[in-house]
Amino acid sequence: MKVTEQERAELKPEVDKLVEKSKEVIRDTFSKYKIEDMAITWTGGKDSTLTLWIIRQVCLEDKIQIPKAMTIDEFDVFQEIHDFMEKYTKEWNLDLEWCRNDDVVKAAGSKLNNIVKVKDLDERNQAELKRIGFEEDSFPFEAESYTGNHLMKTVEFNKYIERRNVKAIFQGLRRDEQSARIQDDYYEKKEAAHLIPEHMRIKPILHFSERQVWKAYKVYGIPYCALYEQGYRSLGAKTTSAIAESGVPAWEQDLEHTTERAGRRQDKEQMMGRLRKLGYM
Amino acid sequence: MKNVILLTLDAIRKDVLEVYGSTKGLSPFIDSLGDESLIFTKGQTTGPYTQAAFPGILTSSYYLDYGKPRGLAPERTLISEPLQKAGIVTAGFHSNPYCSDYLGWNRGWDVFYDSMEDEVEPRIPYIRGDIINTKVSNWLELQVKGGNRAFFLWLHYMDVHEPYMPERKYVDMVDPSLTLSEDEMYDLFENTLLKRDVSDPAKVELLKRLYEIHVREIDTYTKEFFGFLEKLGILKDCVVIITNDHGDEFNEHGGISHDYKMYSELIEPPLLIYGTEQSGEVDKLVSSIDIAPTIIHLFGLEPVPAFKGHSLLPLEDYPEKGAFSEAFDQRSQRGGDIEKDIYCYREKDLKIIYHANLDKWEMYNLKEDPKEQNNIVDTLPAVEELKKKLQPMVRRWVK
Repeated sequence: MKVTEQERAELKPEVDKLVEKSKEVIRDTFSKYKIEDMAITWTGGKDSTLTLWIIRQVCLEDKIQIPKAMTIDEFDVFQEIHDFMEKYTKEWNLDLEWCRNDDVVKAAGSKLNNIVKVKDLDERNQAELKRIGFEEDSFPFEAESYTGNHLMKTVEFNKYIERRNVKAIFQGLRRDEQSARIQDDYYEKKEAAHLIPEHMRIKPILHFSERQVWKAYKVYGIPYCALYEQGYRSLGAKTTSAIAESGVPAWEQDLEHTTERAGRRQDKEQMMGRLRKLGYM
Repeated sequence: MKNVILLTLDAIRKDVLEVYGSTKGLSPFIDSLGDESLIFTKGQTTGPYTQAAFPGILTSSYYLDYGKPRGLAPERTLISEPLQKAGIVTAGFHSNPYCSDYLGWNRGWDVFYDSMEDEVEPRIPYIRGDIINTKVSNWLELQVKGGNRAFFLWLHYMDVHEPYMPERKYVDMVDPSLTLSEDEMYDLFENTLLKRDVSDPAKVELLKRLYEIHVREIDTYTKEFFGFLEKLGILKDCVVIITNDHGDEFNEHGGISHDYKMYSELIEPPLLIYGTEQSGEVDKLVSSIDIAPTIIHLFGLEPVPAFKGHSLLPLEDYPEKGAFSEAFDQRSQRGGDIEKDIYCYREKDLKIIYHANLDKWEMYNLKEDPKEQNNIVDTLPAVEELKKKLQPMVRRWVK
């Protein structure tokens, strides 16, 4: 990322203010929870890496241990993201746990697009499918499909929280990703429910816009995955993430007039499921 | 400048409201608005189900104007768009998948909540009105604190829509003697409603009862919403348009729910406009395509050329015109069978219906035969004039 000193100086006041607000939220959380009761989610993407970096800054400044981190291996991953995360896990001395729903992977014969039979899944996965109202007896193993996504991500997330007794978990979500998040607060309490352990979610970079995220990278030289330089704007599963503008780094694209996430497969399936239950089709 | 709120109640029939003659007391709050509202007694939606109706309401155009529908056609102008361009804050809160971001309805909105990000219960796949109310009230608070810009809010409640499984507290408000369990209600939905099985009148009556309980429920959400407006001190600055997208059938014409039919229980909407300082009944024939132009008028903006309807206000300027509806069979096969298409045209009290694939006509005099039992198509010469007006719309989308 090319940044001139002049540009850095121009952006610094705005970015500092945004980062200060994030640090406030983080410090407030630190005052309420023990280090061992907290965790950080990290996807290797620009938002969660920024979040992780700011938390790390706070820990360095306040001379405390950084909370453990977790990432979900949804099987259909970019090697570049994996390598990026491995590199900084070492450099930043992180306790990073890679979580993967191996039961689903096994039932799919470890191959994308294979059909998974519900009866081949373990009790937890079957219970989760029941909870979300999935009534069919099989589904294709595609990480961005609603059913697949739910099992690969949501189940592993909740299992991690249970397994490691996490009371508060940091996430890199931002308000401007979805206009419905406009009311979202930095703190979101998840009440205990069937298959969901009670926990608090903290979103320190909620107030950053997409453009401001990249400004922070420019000002502080925060590391990022090289895929963004190639033109990816948003990184999810490998097969469904597409280069938005080939060869144009994410921060140079027209962020204000185009959408960050193009329509994803799982939205369609979710919608079809709802329509079916509303009596259509 | 006043704010405009469009409150749409999914699947609510006109005849459950006291302002339209019901004596069942299912909607005390909505009825209480009657004295301060214009009540349109003759209206028609652009179609008998959501996909056919919402283009009419929110884009002032007809369902099949752009061929077989695949989400919101890019050529249509959504009401949010000209309003947003004029600097009015636009917000939409609903949980009907047919109006989701995924299907292209998130255009021109400053805030658009379509609930697709939130989890719903396995059997009740929409967000309850009181939860939507919480989100709306949070937004309204920010909106009011933030300044003086006028807003347009589209708020939609799904609670009257099937599967008809009301909670105990609402059952007790209407019929405490009703003791169906959740499983029994679901069984009724799956085995009677979904199968369109009208053979047992007692079961159809039970479905209707459950439906009516949901009407009572939605009345409480409406009351709660108006309560927020009042608490924030903005109720006096709001015009609220209340209507539905379509109704529901309970064997008036051999069916249940809302399929491709053109009878009044499906396509005659309730339509109230509250807060304009005008009140009383209006018996001019109006269409749901007139709602968007009315909203434009209320904000003092120039009429939008793309809108096919006409502003309902001022009342004296509203022209006498016919109302048109169309639909096709959504259910018979995946994606629906567009060759089972049906069209409807009404002028004053005469309504004609055409089943294109059967080349079959129906005609009703809604004044003398409001329940549409007596097909008079072969008896009146007037039918030829009406057929001529309907003809251009039939299969116009076929290339």
